[in-house]
Amino acid sequence: MSDGKEKSRWRRFAEWVNGDSVTRDPTTQYVMDRRPARAHAPQELHEERERLRLKKFLGLYPLAASFLCLTLIAILFATVLCIPPFGQPGNPTNNEVSRHYLEYTEEETGATNAVTGMILSYRGFDTLGESCVLFLAVSSVMMLLQRDGNNTDEQTLLRLRREDAIERTHPDNILRKSAKLLSPFILLFSLYVLFNGETSPGGGFSGGAVLGGGLILYSVAYGPEQLSRLLTRSLYDGVRITGLMAYALTYGIYIFAGANGITVEMEWMMTVIDLAVGLVVACTIYGFYTMFQRGKL
Amino acid sequence: MTVLENILLAGLVICAAAAPLCKRLLATVIVYLAFSVILAVLWSILQSPDLAITEAAVGTGISGILFFLTLKKIRALKGTQDE
Repeated sequence: MSDGKEKSRWRRFAEWVNGDSVTRDPTTQYVMDRRPARAHAPQELHEERERLRLKKFLGLYPLAASFLCLTLIAILFATVLCIPPFGQPGNPTNNEVSRHYLEYTEEETGATNAVTGMILSYRGFDTLGESCVLFLAVSSVMMLLQRDGNNTDEQTLLRLRREDAIERTHPDNILRKSAKLLSPFILLFSLYVLFNGETSPGGGFSGGAVLGGGLILYSVAYGPEQLSRLLTRSLYDGVRITGLMAYALTYGIYIFAGANGITVEMEWMMTVIDLAVGLVVACTIYGFYTMFQRGKL
Repeated sequence: MTVLENILLAGLVICAAAAPLCKRLLATVIVYLAFSVILAVLWSILQSPDLAITEAAVGTGISGILFFLTLKKIRALKGTQDE
């Protein structure tokens, strides 16, 4: 296995992934050339058949849809009627697990807010998996939607530039003014929710979502160039990756220390985990917005 | 409190039923966002402020933005068509 051959195979694979070169196998090409042309049915016959099919479909569709809806509603109502009434002490949800969580959260996890302690500590692996899912989602959205030289033609660029010019010359005043007024408060609130997550309601996910929304609003208020100058691609990627790594690392230390009976400053770690989750979520949300909107950061 | 709760629950059902029945896609999305707002208020009444914050941010803000962007991409919003 020579190095050159491996490299060429890799390059061929990369080209195939990019869809750059469509090299056909000569035997396949030969068979495809030899194949007789498919016999086409007459146009009228085809149209008639299509019309009949459509008619049958349109007749059946409402019936099937309403049947499915009614069945689903019946099942859901039956389930709701079987659920024990809300807030009763004898409900199966009020068992020793929730009692343990409520009683021991503060001393076991270092979080005053039981919900945050549960999400980030008792079920931290869940949250780690969710953060990974978000990270991968924004990565794949970037792969699919990012604009570069290979997948953008002149016309699209022209259209985008025209849309930008229209936006610049005719800004939506109500939106822009209200966004300008609101976005600092939203960003401040998100920081409060993020940093105060272990003592008050909120925490990583909600704070990150609010932060992402605030970034989107900021981008609306001051124009996308303003924010992309502030939050460049490399910074964005750095924050995203650092968030996930910080989470994994801190949670690893947390678990290790807990399992071996080492006492560590847990409150500080909860804040770090909270912040890491928030950064990942905010980056995901902002990345979705900007990828869908403009195809680049 | 129960009166307010019942009103909100009725609003929830009305929004849920109205969303698929709207003719225009924009109206559907807005009714769905109203559903999320009512749900956020209900979460805070049911004493789960964590969920209320997340629902308000994700349900009304983020999913609304993504829906509007999709509508813009498929040219279902008025005034965004070029030409």
